[in-house]
Amino acid sequence: MRLKLISCEVLYREMCAAAARSPHQVDIEFLPKGLHDLGGESMRAWLQEAVDGVDATRYEAVLLGYALCGNGIAGLMSRTLPLVIPRAHDCIALLMGSRERYRSYFENNPGTCFRSTGWLERGEDLDQAALLIARYGEDNGRYLIEQFNGYQRNYRQLAYIATGLEPDGSFEQRAREEAARRGWQFETIHGDLRLFERLVAGDWDESDFLVVPPGWRVKPTYDGGIIKREGRGP
Amino acid sequence: MSELYDAILNGNAPAAAEAARQALEGGAAALELVQSHMVPAMDEVGRRFECEDYFVPELLLAARAMKAALALIRPLLASSGAEAAGRVVIGTVKGDLHDIGKNIVASMLEGGGFEITDLGADVAPEKFVDAVRANRANLVCLSALLTVTMPSMKTTIEALSAAGLRGQAKIMVGGAPVTQRYADEIGADGYGENAAVAVALARKLCA
Repeated sequence: MRLKLISCEVLYREMCAAAARSPHQVDIEFLPKGLHDLGGESMRAWLQEAVDGVDATRYEAVLLGYALCGNGIAGLMSRTLPLVIPRAHDCIALLMGSRERYRSYFENNPGTCFRSTGWLERGEDLDQAALLIARYGEDNGRYLIEQFNGYQRNYRQLAYIATGLEPDGSFEQRAREEAARRGWQFETIHGDLRLFERLVAGDWDESDFLVVPPGWRVKPTYDGGIIKREGRGP
Repeated sequence: MSELYDAILNGNAPAAAEAARQALEGGAAALELVQSHMVPAMDEVGRRFECEDYFVPELLLAARAMKAALALIRPLLASSGAEAAGRVVIGTVKGDLHDIGKNIVASMLEGGGFEITDLGADVAPEKFVDAVRANRANLVCLSALLTVTMPSMKTTIEALSAAGLRGQAKIMVGGAPVTQRYADEIGADGYGENAAVAVALARKLCA
């Protein structure tokens, strides 16, 4: 099979490794990690454009290297090719290898911020502080920074997800240093590349993947299945 | 309209506090300041946000200015025996640590004359139940920023129902991934797409 994979760049190393070992030919298009911050409708519009841009004569399916991502894929539709999506809330679940494992970790480790190679090396945050101070002045700028970063007060731990693809220990070390800088506990957890491998291998078991036929749309279910296909579109 | 109104609209906290101080010294009534200057200012902030003239930073700064003025006015308001527009319990649901959206809505409602009990983030259903009882709240606002924590909205609504509080308090929900459809599905009384519409929705639900 020839498969087109449209993926978030935050999963760059994992997707490349999986594609390299796929029995199929997988062409990958990476999109910016910044879509995560746009969220919802804006992210969907961007993804829809990428999906619509796939040459249907050259591939048999379009794979998404995304999860539900804050409803960023809700409403997405493939017009001519089936769309295959792993069932997960976000990329952390993908990196952990299963949504059940993610849920259990999430529930037992509240206040955890996650890092992986992609989260460490991709899409450096803008110097938001400088921009806000320039735009709103020193006092209001600092107030805004405090408000925007306020959620971090609620974090207690940083978990680095090691996939085994790293060249050395430098990523883990960077994550460890970030945790120390923020005064959080640090933990390394072992990732699992199975969902990536199965996605590009065409092993799309209904329990872990959603296959959306042409003309159907992706909908969130807000239950264990996370996403479903719905209705026949225009 | 007034210096207080302008200061809030411009997100100038020191100017808002100063305008409130001068108005009070000049004999203005606390309630009058809230109703004729602060509520209209926050309404205008909401309107500008709706037409994408203002963005989240402007909302936060207007709320900051409003709070600076309110800090001076509130003690007088309490002694004047003025009725709040509604008694609100607000929080981000269990498992979810995000709080900016919730904070903005809380500020907008406060600026709109509501009495706010903010339970913070990662709030368990039973804490909402306790707070609604303790504060005799007539409105509960639930926020979630993650699809993984949205089901906590459902369990919180179920807990409020089981506690027999649905007759007493209406429930409104919001947060980036939340939709009207989900709000209907879990039996919420209202859904606010953004902070700007939250005040109008809250007024409607408390009417």
